[in-house]
Amino acid sequence: MALLEIHNLDVHYGAIQALRGVSVSVEQGKIVTMLGANGAGKSTTLRAVSGLIRPTRGEVRFDGKPIHNLPPHRIVEMGISHVPEGRGIFPGFTVEENLQAGAYVRKMSHGEFERERGRVTKLFPVLKERLAQPAGTLSGGEQQMLAIARALLSKPRLLLLDEPSLGLAPLIVQVIFRIIREINQTGTTILLVEQNIHMALNAAHEGYVLEAGSVVMKDEATKLAANDDVRKAYLGVG
Amino acid sequence: MTTFLQTLMDAISVGSLYALIALGYTMVYGVLRFINFAHGDVFMLGAWFSFWVTTKFGWAGEGAHPSIPRALTVMAIAMALCGLLGYLIERLAYRPLRFAPRLNVLITAIGVSLLLQNTGQLKYVFGTENQRMPTLLPATTLATVAGVNITLIDVIIVAGSLVLMGVLDRLVYRSRMGMAMRAVAFDPHTASLMGVNVNRTVSATFVAGSMLAAAAGFLYATKYPNLNQPAFSTWTLLGLKAFIAAVVGGIGNIRGAMVGGLLIGLIEQFGVAYSAPLSHGYITGEFKEIYVFALLILVLLVKPSGILGRLTVEKV
Amino acid sequence: MALTLTGCDQQPQQPAVTGGSPVATPGEIVVGQYGSLTGSEATFGQTTDEGVRLAVEERNATGGIKGRKIKLVTYDDRSNAQEAGTVVTRLITQDKAVAILGEVASTRSIAGGRVAQQYGVPMVSPSSTNPTVTDIGDMIFRVCFIDPFQGTVMAKFSHENLKLTKVAVLYDKGQAYSTGLSNYFQQAFKEMGGTITAVETYKGGDPDFSAQLTTIRNSGAEAIYIPGYYNEVASIALQARKLGIPNSVPLMGGDGWESPKLAEIAGEAVEGCYFSNHYAPEDERAEVKEFIAKYKAKYNGVTPGALAASGYDAANILFDAMGRAPSLSGADLAKALAETKNFKAVTGLITINKSRNADKSAVVLQMKGGTPVYVATVEPPKK
Repeated sequence: MALLEIHNLDVHYGAIQALRGVSVSVEQGKIVTMLGANGAGKSTTLRAVSGLIRPTRGEVRFDGKPIHNLPPHRIVEMGISHVPEGRGIFPGFTVEENLQAGAYVRKMSHGEFERERGRVTKLFPVLKERLAQPAGTLSGGEQQMLAIARALLSKPRLLLLDEPSLGLAPLIVQVIFRIIREINQTGTTILLVEQNIHMALNAAHEGYVLEAGSVVMKDEATKLAANDDVRKAYLGVG
Repeated sequence: MTTFLQTLMDAISVGSLYALIALGYTMVYGVLRFINFAHGDVFMLGAWFSFWVTTKFGWAGEGAHPSIPRALTVMAIAMALCGLLGYLIERLAYRPLRFAPRLNVLITAIGVSLLLQNTGQLKYVFGTENQRMPTLLPATTLATVAGVNITLIDVIIVAGSLVLMGVLDRLVYRSRMGMAMRAVAFDPHTASLMGVNVNRTVSATFVAGSMLAAAAGFLYATKYPNLNQPAFSTWTLLGLKAFIAAVVGGIGNIRGAMVGGLLIGLIEQFGVAYSAPLSHGYITGEFKEIYVFALLILVLLVKPSGILGRLTVEKV
Repeated sequence: MALTLTGCDQQPQQPAVTGGSPVATPGEIVVGQYGSLTGSEATFGQTTDEGVRLAVEERNATGGIKGRKIKLVTYDDRSNAQEAGTVVTRLITQDKAVAILGEVASTRSIAGGRVAQQYGVPMVSPSSTNPTVTDIGDMIFRVCFIDPFQGTVMAKFSHENLKLTKVAVLYDKGQAYSTGLSNYFQQAFKEMGGTITAVETYKGGDPDFSAQLTTIRNSGAEAIYIPGYYNEVASIALQARKLGIPNSVPLMGGDGWESPKLAEIAGEAVEGCYFSNHYAPEDERAEVKEFIAKYKAKYNGVTPGALAASGYDAANILFDAMGRAPSLSGADLAKALAETKNFKAVTGLITINKSRNADKSAVVLQMKGGTPVYVATVEPPKK
C-alpha cells in the first residue's frame, strides 16, 4: 500500500473544475513529481492533499486512512507538511519564530526544540546565522530554505513541495534540489510539483504529467525524461 | 501643579480603560482584518454583567460593603460571561462569513452591535433606566500628593489594567496560542499548514478580547457607578474612543493599543482641563471628543499606520 | 388597531391608550402625548405620563369633554430630539390628535413643537422651561415658568438665603434648557454682586467630568450651579465628592434634577444640595392635597414629584380649554388655551400670558435623606 493514495479526485473552484478524476500514488520513501503547464492542476492537487481545499469527489488516503474531509491542521498532525507555492513564510516573524511556527504541532519543550532546530539547520547552515533576522529580509533562496526547514520541523512523513525553484537563480536551484534529495534519503517521502522539469525528473523516482486537470501520463522518472512527447512539450527538446 | 497632577492621574486612569477596550479591537483586526463594531457593546455588557452579578449575590443595598474578594469574584464572572459571549458572537455571526466580502462582515458587525444594545435594554434584561453600580471597592483615599487624591479605585484600575495587559502580552508573544494568533494574523492558510487550528485560534482571540472588555467594563462601573442604559450613547462613544485608540496606536498592534489608549486619555483630560483657562472660557469641556478626533486626524495624516503600526507587509 | 400604533416596543408595559376602549370609537377625542419613557431621562417621561393618565381618567369618569371621551395616545421618544419630531408627526398625521401634550426636556419640546406648529395643532408642554419653546409659534403653550425666572430663583436663593458670593457653573452645552438656565443664573447672580469663579461645560452622555471638576475645585467656589438633567448630575455629584469637593460645597440646579434616580444613584453625594422646582408636595393648598391623595391611590402610594404634577396640570388645562372652545380646530383650541386665567392647578395658580407661558411661583427644595424637602418659595417678579 502506498503512503499517499489519491483516487479519482475532482476539485472545483466555484463553477470551474480544476481537477478531473486525478489519481496519484506515492510510495513510502520515494520522491514523486507532478509536471505540467500552469493551470494543469498540480498545485490544486497538493492543496487538496493538505486540506486547504475540499475535493468535490474522490478520496485521499494517507497511510490507508481517508483524510480528504479533515481540516489542514489535523492533516499536519498526521504527518503531512506542505510548503506552499510562494513559500508562505511569515515575513514579520524572525527566522527563529518561523521555525517555531513550523514546530507548532509537536508541542516541544524549549530544549527539544533547540535540538530539532539544530538537526534541521544542519541542512541549511545559512539559516543558523540569521535566526534573529526578520524573515522578510531574507533573499529568495534563503526564504525557500526557511520554508522547507520550517516544514521539516513538524517531522513530516510526507513533504509536499510546490515549485521550490520558482524565481531562484540556477545555482540556488541546484542547492535546493541537493537538499531535497538529502531530505528524502533520511526517509521523508516527497511529492514535488515543479516547472523545472529537468531538475525534477532528475531528482524524482516517479513522475506524473498533468494537463487541464487530468493525469495524462505516469511513469518512472527516467522513462519520462526519455519520452519524446515529454521532451518536446516540456523540456523544449526535439 | 495640583491641576496638572490631578489631570495626569485621571488621564492615566481613563486611558487604561481605553487601552483595555482597544486591545479587543486590535486583536480581532490583527487576526481577521475587520473591525468588530460589536466590541464596544461587549464592554457595555461587561459593566452591566458586573452590576447584575453584584445584585444577584445580594451585594447591593443592605448587603453592600466593600470587599476586594467580592470585587474579584464579580470581575471574574463578568469576564467569563463576556468571554462566552465573544465566543458565541464569532461562532454564530462572523464565522459563517469568514470568506464573504468585507462589507458583509462590517454590516453584520453593526447588526450584532444593535442586537446586543437592544437585547440589553429589554425589560427583562437590564431595562431602559440607568442604575447605580453597588460599591465593591472602598472609596479609600490612599494618599494625597500636592492636593491630589490618589484613590484606591484609580490605583486598582491602573494596576489591574497593567496586569491584564502584561498577561495578554505574554500570551501573545510567549505562548503557543499566541504564536498561533500571530501566525493566523499573517496568513491563516499558511498558519493552518503549520498545524494551527484557525477556527480555534480565532475563537480564542474573540474570547480574550471580550474578557479584557469585560474587565474594562467592571473597572469602569466601579469608577463611574452611574450605569447608563445599554443602548445609551455613552457606551457607543466610549467604544468609539477605544477604537480610535487602537487606530492611533496602530491597529493590529497590541502594544500600540496600549499606547493609543493612554494617549487618548491624556489628550482628552488635558484638553478639557486646560482649554477653558487658556482660551478665557471660549473653549470648554464639551470639546472633549474634538481633541480625540483631532488627534486621530493628525495621526492619520502623519503616520497612517498608527504610532506603532507598520505598513502591511505584502505577502511574498 | 390602536394597539398596533403604540410603537414603543421597548416599553410594552406602558399602555398607549388610556381612557375609553383601546379601539378608537368615532366619538372619541384623540389627545397625543410624547415623552421620554425610556433613555437617559426616562423618569421624566414616565412620571409625567402618570400625571397625564390620572387627569385623563378623571376627566373621562366625569363625562369627558362635552360628552365625548378622551383617548390618549402616547409615544416614546427615547430621550432623543430627532425621535420627538418623528413621533409628533405620527401623532398628528396618523392618529389625528387634536392636541399634543409634551415634552419635559426643552430640546425635545422644540423639536416636537416645530412639527405641531407646522400642522397647526396646539401643543402644551408640561414642564419645558427654556424660553424659546413657546417662541416657535401661536400653537405652542406651556403650564410652567420659564428659565429667565428659574435662573433668577436660584441666584436669589444662593445670594439671599445661603449668603454665597462665589459660585461656579457647570452645564450641558447640548441642551437648550441647560445653556439657557446657566446664562440666566450667571446674569442674575452677577447683578446681585456675586462672582462666577468658573464656567465649565459637558456633553450629555459623557460619563467623566473629572477635568471640569478639577478646574472648578481649584477656582474656590462655595457652591456649584449645575442646571443639567438628573442623569449627568448624579455622575457629576459622585465625581465631585470623589475629587474632594466636600458636601459643604452644595450643588445647585433646576427642575431637571427632579427624579427619584438622582438620590438613588448619587446617594450621599447630593445630600444637602438645592434645586428649584415647580411645586412642593408639602404645599397645604387643597388642590395639592387632593392630587397627592388621588395619585397615591392610583400609583401604589408613591408621592408625586413636580413632573407628575405638571403633567396633570398640563392635561387639565388642555381639557379645560377644550371644554371652553367652540370647536376642536387648532385655531379655536389655541384661542381657548391662551385665555386660561387663574386656573387652580396643582403647581400653582396658572394664567397663560401673552407669550403663552405660565406666570407662577417657583419653590426651592433641598435633598435631605434622599428626598427633596421644601425650603422656600420664590414669587415671579411683579409686572
